[in-house]
Parts: sequence; C-alpha cells; structure tokens
Amino acid sequence: MSDHEHHDHPLAPETRDAGSQALSEALRSSFIIVQIAMATLIVVIILSGVFTVGPQEKAVILRFGKPLGEGQKMLLGAGLHWSYPQPIDEIIRIPITEIQKVTSTAGWYQTTPEQELAGTEPPAGPSLDPRTDHYVITADRNIIHTRAFISYRIDDPLTAIFNFASGTNQQFNLAGISNAVQNAANNALVATAARFNVDDILTGKVEEFQEAVAQYVRELAASEHLGVVIEQCQVQSLPPRYLKDDFAAVTAARVNRDKLISDARSDQNHILSQAGATASSITNLAESARVRYVTAIQSDAAAFTNLLSRYESNPQLYMRLELTEALAGALTNVQDKFFLPQRADGKARELRLMLNREPPQPGSAANP
Amino acid sequence: MKKKAITPLIAAVLLVIFVLLLFTFQVPQSQVVVVSTFLKPTDTITNAGLYVKWPWPVQSLTRFDQRVQISEDKFSETYLADHSILLANLFVGWRISDGRQFMNVFKNGSTASAQQQLEQILRSAKLAVFAHYGLSDFVNSDATQLKFNEVEKDIQASVDKELAQNNYGIRIEFLGIKQIGLPDSVTKTVFGRMKAERTILINTAQYGGEADAAKIRAAAERQAADVLANAQADATRIEGEGQAEAAKTLAVFQQNPDLAVFQLELAALKSSMNKNTTLFFDETKPPFDIFRKLPASPETK
Repeated sequence: MSDHEHHDHPLAPETRDAGSQALSEALRSSFIIVQIAMATLIVVIILSGVFTVGPQEKAVILRFGKPLGEGQKMLLGAGLHWSYPQPIDEIIRIPITEIQKVTSTAGWYQTTPEQELAGTEPPAGPSLDPRTDHYVITADRNIIHTRAFISYRIDDPLTAIFNFASGTNQQFNLAGISNAVQNAANNALVATAARFNVDDILTGKVEEFQEAVAQYVRELAASEHLGVVIEQCQVQSLPPRYLKDDFAAVTAARVNRDKLISDARSDQNHILSQAGATASSITNLAESARVRYVTAIQSDAAAFTNLLSRYESNPQLYMRLELTEALAGALTNVQDKFFLPQRADGKARELRLMLNREPPQPGSAANP
Repeated sequence: MKKKAITPLIAAVLLVIFVLLLFTFQVPQSQVVVVSTFLKPTDTITNAGLYVKWPWPVQSLTRFDQRVQISEDKFSETYLADHSILLANLFVGWRISDGRQFMNVFKNGSTASAQQQLEQILRSAKLAVFAHYGLSDFVNSDATQLKFNEVEKDIQASVDKELAQNNYGIRIEFLGIKQIGLPDSVTKTVFGRMKAERTILINTAQYGGEADAAKIRAAAERQAADVLANAQADATRIEGEGQAEAAKTLAVFQQNPDLAVFQLELAALKSSMNKNTTLFFDETKPPFDIFRKLPASPETK
C-alpha cells in the first residue's frame, strides 16, 4: 500500500509531510487559541463574581435562592465583594441606610411637596372630604389633623427584606416593610387619638400623646413581626384649617388668662411679702420697746436705790434741788419765757393766747 | 495525550451544566413553588434552596410570592350599633399559605384576583363587626371603654373563618384599622360644634382668668391681714411680757413711793420742756420765788 502510493505520487511523502506539518501547526495554533480562550473564560467567570456595594446600599447574596449569613451579617456593606456567578449566586441590592424614615398618611390633609416646602396649606372648606382630607377623631369627638414621622432601623434583615412584598413584582427592596410600618403608624395614630381629647393632643398633653403613639407603633411592630426597631416617633398635630382662627383665639385667651393669673400671683407675693415685712417690723418694735421699757425701769430702779438715801436724809431739800436743776435746764432750752409777777391786788392775772399765730420769720424786721 | 483529555473534559462539563439546568431548579427565599407532574400539582416547596425535578413536560413549576402582601379595602361607610355612620378602611397583611390551593382557587394563581377577593371579604366582615359596636367604642376619653382592639380581632376572626371555609390558601398575618372618619356632611356639623366649644373656652379663659386673679388677690389680702393681726397680737404679748418683767422691779419703788413719784414727774418735766415750749411763770414758783426773797430797794421802802 505504501509502495503503491509511493509509485503513484513520487512527491507525496514530501507533500504529506508538509501538509501534516501545516495541519499540525494549525491544530497547535488552534489549541493554543482554545487554551487562551478557556483561560480567559475562567478568568472572566472568576472576575464576574466581583461586585461593589455603594455607600447608600446593602447587598445580600442568595446562594441557590437562600440568603448567605444570618442577622446583620447577611447584609454586605459598602466595598468590594465576591460571589459565585449565576445561577449559583444571585446578588440582591437594597437601597438601605442605617435609619429609614416613613410618614403616616391617615390623619393628614392632602398636600403637595411644593406646599410642604413653602409652608403653605390648601384652602380650607366648611367641611372635610374624607377621601382627600384625612383626619382623626378624638375622644371628645372632635376632628384634628395629625401625622407621625417614624424613624426605624432594620433589626432582622431576613424578615424585613424577604418577608414583605412591594406590590405584585418580585423585587427585593424596602418598599414592603416601609408600607407595613406606615400602616402601623396610621393604625397607632387613629387608635391613640381616640382616647385623647383635642386640647390634650394640641396643647395639654402633646408629649404624652406622642409617646403613646410611639409606644403603639412599637407594639404593632413587635406583634406584626416587622423585624424593625422604632427609633423615633415625632407627631405633628393641627386643628382643622377651617377652625384655625378659633383655635388661635382660644390659645390667645388662655395666654391672657395665664398672664392675669401670673400678675395676680405677683401681686400676691408682693402683698404677702409686704405684710410679712410689716409684721416683722411690728414684732421687732414691740420687742425693742419691751427691752427699752424693762431696761428703763431697771435703770430707774437702780437710780431710785442710789437716790433713796439722799432723799431720806432731807426730802424737801432734795426735791427743791432736783426741781431747780430741772427747771434750769428747761429754761435754757425753752424759746419763749414770760415772767408774770403777781398782781398787787392779789387777783389772778388774765392771759390771752393767740393760737395759730404766724411762725416768727428769723431775721425779719419784726423779729430781728 | 493532554489534547485528548481536555476535549472530553469540556464536553463533560457542558453536559453536567446542561443536565443541572434540566433537572434542577432553585426556590428563592421569597417564593413558594408548586411542582406539577403532568400538570397535576404534586408538591409544594416553601423553603429556599436547590431542588431536583424531572424536565418538562414531565414536571413543571409554578412560582408564587410567599411574602406578606399588604392590601386595604375601600374607605367606605359603615353603620354602628348606635345608628352612627362611620367611614373606615382596614389594612391587612396576608400571604399565600398553600400554593396548590391558591393555584386552584384563583385563575393562574393571580395575586390581583386574590386581592380583589380579599377586599370583598374584608368589607363584608367590617360591615358585620362594626354593626355590633357603638361610636363610644371607637372614641372615648376612658381608655378602658375603647374597643379598638376587640373590633380588629373580631374582623380578623371573621376573615380567617371565611378564608378557612373556602380554603383560599391565604393566611392573614395582621389586620388593623387604617383610618376612621365621618361623612362629609357630618364634618360640617362637627365644625359648628367645635366652633361653639371654642367660643365657650375663650369666655371661660377670659372670665375665669379674671375671677381666678381676683380670688388670688383677695386670698393674699386676707392672708396679709392675718399676718398683721398675728403680728399685733405678738406685739401685745411682748409688751405684756415686758410689763410683767418690769413689774418685778416695781417692788424697789415701794421703799419710798413719794420719791418714786417725784422722780417720774421730774423726768416727765424734763422730757416735756423743749425749744418750742412757751413758759409762763410767776414769782411764787421755785426757782422764781427767789424774786420774793430779794431785799426791798430803798425807793420801795
């Protein structure tokens, strides 16, 4: 067979060798290309598992549909991560921050973000359309607007993310749990307002009402197994817009009443402190008078004891001396002195006093 | 040899991948999967993971979202036991508890159909339960009289019963009242009443404030008078004590009452004579009686 081939094709061995060599070369080249392609494919497959998580999101790896890790460890934070390629692993990205916020809807009137920003309100009407102007009914059967701003934290990611659907799609996000927390807030507002009076909610027991709503939301979050922790609950309440001026007038009247009472209390303090001061003065004066009186009596007694012997030795002389001395002192001080000698006939002299006379002007011509 | 080994290896890998794709399936965390064998539901898988199945057309899969769906009924009027009318709507968290049954009841396992059905059930349960309660059970200053939770529990029990009786494959996770309100026309009346109440409160605050202030001032005056009266009494007592204390000294003056009286009169005389005193005297009173004792002048003699 080989001879036949050799004779029929004298150049065949050379041609065959060249062909085989070319084929071999081609196969070798192809194989190298395949090897490079496979190596590249493996590298691509490995690198395709690398993914990044942004600062405002978390990621969960589902391996064959099951989340990897438990509790907070399930959530991958910002940075570079790796997973097996699909269909082994699937990356679920969730836009999540540490604190989530949601606002209730059930008790507030219809407004737009622009109106909220501008601080304006829609015009008030003499009634409320319950389809658009939401409100709550208070214990005293009044109507007010109220809303709760809830801040919450995901405590159990498995429950919060994988247990609540957002509409009919199959996406994983926080819309479902946000909706559940919002409904809890709505429920809490309606149920709590039902046992508070309107003035308590608006002015008297604002803090108490807010705490009651927060407590109710916390209880609902626990009983409904939402997997969240309610961090903060702030409640804003307003009277109906139609009665805004009436409520403001009550507030003004109460402020005025408080001022009247405050002024009265101020007067009370003044009256009582003045009375206390006067009372102290009276008792102090009495005390000092007592001391003075007793001291005077005691000093008089001491003086009496000292003078007694002198007096008893010659009472008349003693009295004359003392009286003369006293009159001498008095006469020195007395401004007007009139000596009236006895009448020669022995009759009493008649004196006439001019009362209310003009006081003498010192240095005047009439009184030099 | 090396070249020969790699080609079958690649083929084997591809074959394994193909077989895996054909014979396995995943159940994600949020889904419930109903496995049908020759279109007849034979198994329900609720736990996430990798599972084995026969390839189509032997076995096929139907997937449902088993997460909690939140639905609510319409904000509609309900009549209460006391003939009041209250608007209310409920929210409900529900999930597919039995995928096979759910698929049987609702065409193509439509969640939207299930929600519609559930809303109807909620509405009829709401009407039935609310009719047993009065308005004071929904709003009351006395928290012990409120029956909010009872109403919600009764509605959930009614809904649970309905779902169980008809075997919808749905389970209620939670239920609550989202909102209550009054008919449009009633809010107008309520506003009128609230306005009247505000007027009363304004008058109460105004006149009450004045009255309270007057009471406070009157009480203060009364208290001040008491304080002063007590002080006067104390002063009288103190003076009395002083006199009693002084009386102990009076015995000294008993030794010679004439001298004591003289001393007192002398002291009174000294204290009464001041600069503004006008003094009239004659020669009969000492020391001016000295004039009478003077020797007579020669002319007089």
